[in-house]
Amino acid sequence: MSATAAVSDLGTRARLAVAGAAALFLSAGALALTGSTDVLLAVLALLFEKSTLAAALRLSVPIAFAALGGIFAEKSGVINIGLEGLLIVSAFGGVYVTSITGSVWLGLLGGVAVSTLLALLFAIVCIEFRADQIIAGLAIWLIALGLAPFASTVVFGSTNASAGTTFPSIGRLLANSGLPVVSTAGVAALDALAGVPFFGALFEASPMVYLMFVAVGASWWTLNRTSFGRWVHASGENPKALDTAGVRVSRVRYAAVLLSGVLAGVGGAALSLSLGQFVGNGPTMVNGKGFIAIVTYLLGNYNPVGALLSTLLFAGLDALQLSLQGQNVLAIPRPLVRTIPYVSVIVVLALFGKTRLPEAAGEHYESGEE
Amino acid sequence: MTEAVRLDSITKRFPGVVANDDVTLSVERGTVHALLGENGAGKTTLMNVLYGLYEPTAGDVYVDGDGLTYEGGEEPDGDGDSDGLPRIAEAPQRFDSPRDAIDAGVGMIHQHFMLVDPMTVAENITLGNEPRKWGGLAVDREAAREAVLDLSERYGFDVEPDATIEDVGVGVQQRVEILKALYRGAEILVLDEPTAVLTPQEVDDLFEVLDELTDAGKTIIFITHKLGEALEAADEVTVLRDGRNVGSVETVGTTREELAELMVGREVMLETETPPATPGSASLVIDGVTARDDRGVVAVDDVSFAVREGEVFGIAGVDGNGQSELVEVVTGLHRPAAGRVELDGRDVTDASRRERTRAGMAYIPEDRQERGLVMDFDLTENGVLGSQHDAPFAERGRLDWERAEDRAREIVDEYDVRPPDAAADAKSLSGGNQQKFIVGREFARDPSCLVASHPTRGVDIGSTEFIHDRLVDLRDEGRAVLLVSSKLDEVRGLSDRLAVMYRGRVVGVVDPDEVTEEQLGLMMAGERPDPLPRAERVGDAADTDDRKRVRSGVASGEDADAEATDD
Amino acid sequence: MRRRQMTDDDAGAGGPLDDGDAGSSAPSVRDRAFDALDRLVAASATERLLISGSALLLSIAIGFLLILAAGRMTSCGSAAYSLLGVGFCYDPFLVYDSLFLGAFGDFLANPLNGQFATTVSETTVLVFTGIAVAVAFKAGVFNIGGQGQLVFGALASALVVYGVSGAVSGLVGTLVLVSVGLATGAFVGGIWGAIPGALKAYADANEVITTIMLNFVATSFALYLASGPFKDPESFANQTRTLPEFALFPQPLFPGRTDASLLALALAITVAVGIAYLLRGTSFGYDVRTSGIQPEAAEYGGVDAARTVVASMALSGALAGLGGAVYVFTIAGNFQTGVPDYGFDGITVSILAGNNPVAAIAAALLFGVLKSGSIVVDVGTDVPPELVGVLRGLIVLFVAMPEFFRMIGERVDVRDRLGGSRDAVATDGGEEA
Repeated sequence: MSATAAVSDLGTRARLAVAGAAALFLSAGALALTGSTDVLLAVLALLFEKSTLAAALRLSVPIAFAALGGIFAEKSGVINIGLEGLLIVSAFGGVYVTSITGSVWLGLLGGVAVSTLLALLFAIVCIEFRADQIIAGLAIWLIALGLAPFASTVVFGSTNASAGTTFPSIGRLLANSGLPVVSTAGVAALDALAGVPFFGALFEASPMVYLMFVAVGASWWTLNRTSFGRWVHASGENPKALDTAGVRVSRVRYAAVLLSGVLAGVGGAALSLSLGQFVGNGPTMVNGKGFIAIVTYLLGNYNPVGALLSTLLFAGLDALQLSLQGQNVLAIPRPLVRTIPYVSVIVVLALFGKTRLPEAAGEHYESGEE
Repeated sequence: MTEAVRLDSITKRFPGVVANDDVTLSVERGTVHALLGENGAGKTTLMNVLYGLYEPTAGDVYVDGDGLTYEGGEEPDGDGDSDGLPRIAEAPQRFDSPRDAIDAGVGMIHQHFMLVDPMTVAENITLGNEPRKWGGLAVDREAAREAVLDLSERYGFDVEPDATIEDVGVGVQQRVEILKALYRGAEILVLDEPTAVLTPQEVDDLFEVLDELTDAGKTIIFITHKLGEALEAADEVTVLRDGRNVGSVETVGTTREELAELMVGREVMLETETPPATPGSASLVIDGVTARDDRGVVAVDDVSFAVREGEVFGIAGVDGNGQSELVEVVTGLHRPAAGRVELDGRDVTDASRRERTRAGMAYIPEDRQERGLVMDFDLTENGVLGSQHDAPFAERGRLDWERAEDRAREIVDEYDVRPPDAAADAKSLSGGNQQKFIVGREFARDPSCLVASHPTRGVDIGSTEFIHDRLVDLRDEGRAVLLVSSKLDEVRGLSDRLAVMYRGRVVGVVDPDEVTEEQLGLMMAGERPDPLPRAERVGDAADTDDRKRVRSGVASGEDADAEATDD
Repeated sequence: MRRRQMTDDDAGAGGPLDDGDAGSSAPSVRDRAFDALDRLVAASATERLLISGSALLLSIAIGFLLILAAGRMTSCGSAAYSLLGVGFCYDPFLVYDSLFLGAFGDFLANPLNGQFATTVSETTVLVFTGIAVAVAFKAGVFNIGGQGQLVFGALASALVVYGVSGAVSGLVGTLVLVSVGLATGAFVGGIWGAIPGALKAYADANEVITTIMLNFVATSFALYLASGPFKDPESFANQTRTLPEFALFPQPLFPGRTDASLLALALAITVAVGIAYLLRGTSFGYDVRTSGIQPEAAEYGGVDAARTVVASMALSGALAGLGGAVYVFTIAGNFQTGVPDYGFDGITVSILAGNNPVAAIAAALLFGVLKSGSIVVDVGTDVPPELVGVLRGLIVLFVAMPEFFRMIGERVDVRDRLGGSRDAVATDGGEEA
């Protein structure tokens, strides 16, 4: 399945194209303000450096996973604005479990488990107790914002915590797999490919980046090709139709929200474990990624592939911003450069705010009620 | 007889309400059975019990599409039994959810279609029962298509499996609903008010479909409050009133009057008697108005007419033919794409709601609970709605709640709103009382022009008569009234001139006393009967302005709807 | 359960009651049905109070467990608290004692003690951010941007007042500077609030996302200004120059404390009462409430929805900005980065107060106590003060689910009616819908 085939509806493609153009235009405008074409060229060169792509891919992981989770929840009719909170707890959970077990993979599972538990709480509150989804989602964020640093301080004595290890590279994984021939040949091939300018970054990324691509494909398939995907869609558009067709709406919604917990959990754990540490002061290391995720799937029109593309757009901006900070190409002060992703979110939302939400999103549904 | 369904002494109570009271109903296999009654008679509740959406408080449900079996063998004549029905051998069924009912072969076509608009026809039909392949990893879309085509062919339906629901017409959507039930193996189909959203032609098509289905051995129960349809389509009619079964009759050998009396419980006046109007000059002028709906589709297409002081100008038509958009353009809730709206000689096309209200326009909206009232506000606060910036309630930005309360009390007294309590929340009132309060509030503005959209929809008979009388009183005071309603009896009875809308256009303007039901039916389906009845029933109207006007009985040769539309 | 649907009887749409008032003009079955439903569903003022109180208690109970659990996860020499033979490193009672009573200091001996002064100053700022969120909520807009609006209000008033402070002096100077500072804070905060309002009104951009993003932008931008152009050259911290003492809020009662002012608190309370009047007693307030509660009805009633959204967001931002100015004039004395989370606490304050501006005063006091108390907890116990953050989230969560408490309430009702029959309670699964 190619990206263009999956993002088949014209609307989504047009939106993405315009959003990309708008982002470029904005950046160019900002640069023009600073003056010289030399700077512009330097920035363009930076844009096509391998390290920028590598950073963009790395930064995409938590946003993309959270966006996938958000798609499932919102398509089923439960707006999960608590994605940010799920990312925060799983970022800490991943580091905590890794620090105990010494295994990042167990850490990943731990992060997923914590995030799923919090998503379960959210689901119960929204589905069983008819809470206002926006306020409950906000509460999930606030709880996580307090809980993760609290737990970090209890366990590690500081709001920042170290896992002691990070994800191995895909090459290391292969090398250690113990498979004859495949391991050595694979490693050699990867090394060669990694040498390619720019796209080489695709071949030396963290395993989480590959998992992200797999998850996007799997989510697309689940939503568009399976019965469960149909039910999720119906549950968000016309829950009554689903109910009268004999499918329990609350079950579909529970499943979708829990799935959003699992996916966001992978994203959060990947975020902290790819750095090997959890940063818990202020808005934590998640720093709004959960909210950006919401914008990416709105922009991607609830299509996982569209969400991935818009995630790459935002993450690309963020990567560029990081490179700009690192290389001192520009005279713009760092705190201002740091606002680029946030400002672009606002601009994109203002341009494409009129996303068609699922008909029943945000509404409680009670079987037998008319 | 072969019984397919029997509801035995069903009682359904809600907190404080008995919706069904000891209702027994028996339906023969392969027939169409109409469940007739007024709004609120308990029809839908009864069918929801049959469909497993509600659990009955008391009583038993027996269902078998192939026919029930009886104690002591097949098909006794039943004469010997005390309640006239044979005893059933099987245990009664217990439906905890629609799924159970579906499994037992009951399918329900709800009044508001249970379809997922952005999905295709085939996806909707198979929803919840998708054919799968690859061990459940994928929906077998080809199999789904096949199944749909197969069913359509068997019952002579014409549907395109890959069309998206939101792109097909209401009639097709209804067929999709029926197919959905058939796909699930329904032997008994329950249709809730299936004709409410259809044009007369589509209704005929539906009745043909029902014939096909009964020929194939399916059993149909259809809920309606329309006498004529029950008589036309059904083999047997059961009438519900106040939650009770007041009688089942074969359609052969019964009359409209007989059914009407059963329905209402008293002899009803089917006609509203109103004295003729004495209209003055044009108050509300609609000139070439075109408007698009939210999706950008043209909903109102070059409509022109004028409502004069002292007349009720009615607009009839099947719901969804642009009436709502037209009303919103007139009242300032929707901006027209082209055309002008004039109120008492002033161009108000670009005026806001507030400016129009100030200029003397009152508006009884179509949806009282969405627009007309703030449900969580009490009546005092609701009485201010629309005048919150104006005297007598507001003075330099401050609200005078004592005056507001006095106003609310006046409305409550004068319009007999119950409970008579200005501090009661709007949501605590019944639909009829909510509507009476809105009518009272709008009349209290002392308007020069009133726009009333479906003013008695979902309102009980007592309140309906009351509201009708008030509308006529207002007219007799020399105010202009624009009345939009999908109830034919209502618009015909109250209007002095009657326009019929179809697909955004005014098909024609007629004299409601002259036009026949057949002619109106044709017009509502978009056809202009020939000759078109004249538009005026008032003999002594002073023809004061220079607009073309046709007087009653004067065959002037001018087309009656010349001032309404030039199509 | 949406009430609108419950009462929807259009054309026999088949509400559960299928419209019970046909053909009868006596007080209909429908009226009676609604009485019953109202008792079941409608939230009266008392009920709101009960819900908020229960949410608070439940959060405290869960916090209790959290402290115990945290006490098991950490290691210590001797158990500070033991329950059922299990030792815990933290004593929840001690923590809550520090949290709630600590905030009052030695109140009986000296009501004007330092800790209570902190409580007062925190409460004052929280009143502003609380009513800021409440005003927007009343208009149906969720202003999560209180933090950013407060930061900009604080920064602007610190800069402007510093600029003007050279020109005036003495008591008149105090009056002028404080007024100018408050006006500046309100103005800048109002502009920053109006932006997401306009984006929502005219571009349909979801305000929850835009306000959160604008918080990040405001924080970064303030960091830039306070670390660059307007940095106090004599300080290592990212902060603006300290304001002269006469530029600060007069603090007549608390001796030796510049950070607590009963005058500022009085101002906060006055503003809260004023906002309550604005909402209830004016045409503008009517427009705001109507468009918040039922936008279609507001449109019908001639309310310009877009303008109302922008106006109420501007007002909301102005209140948060005012809070920022008060923060500068009482607590901070200048602008420094790392402004505490008053904006987010404001959300909790407003939600806990049911978005009622007057009730927000009480809710702000509660959170003032928590914030002040968390300092006592930090100093006096080993429990991380982030506990307060968790409680904040839990309170919001529980207030968001009134149905939970109603279900519990119903169970209790049923038990009362059935004379304590536990079986009946167990089978009543809250299926009233």
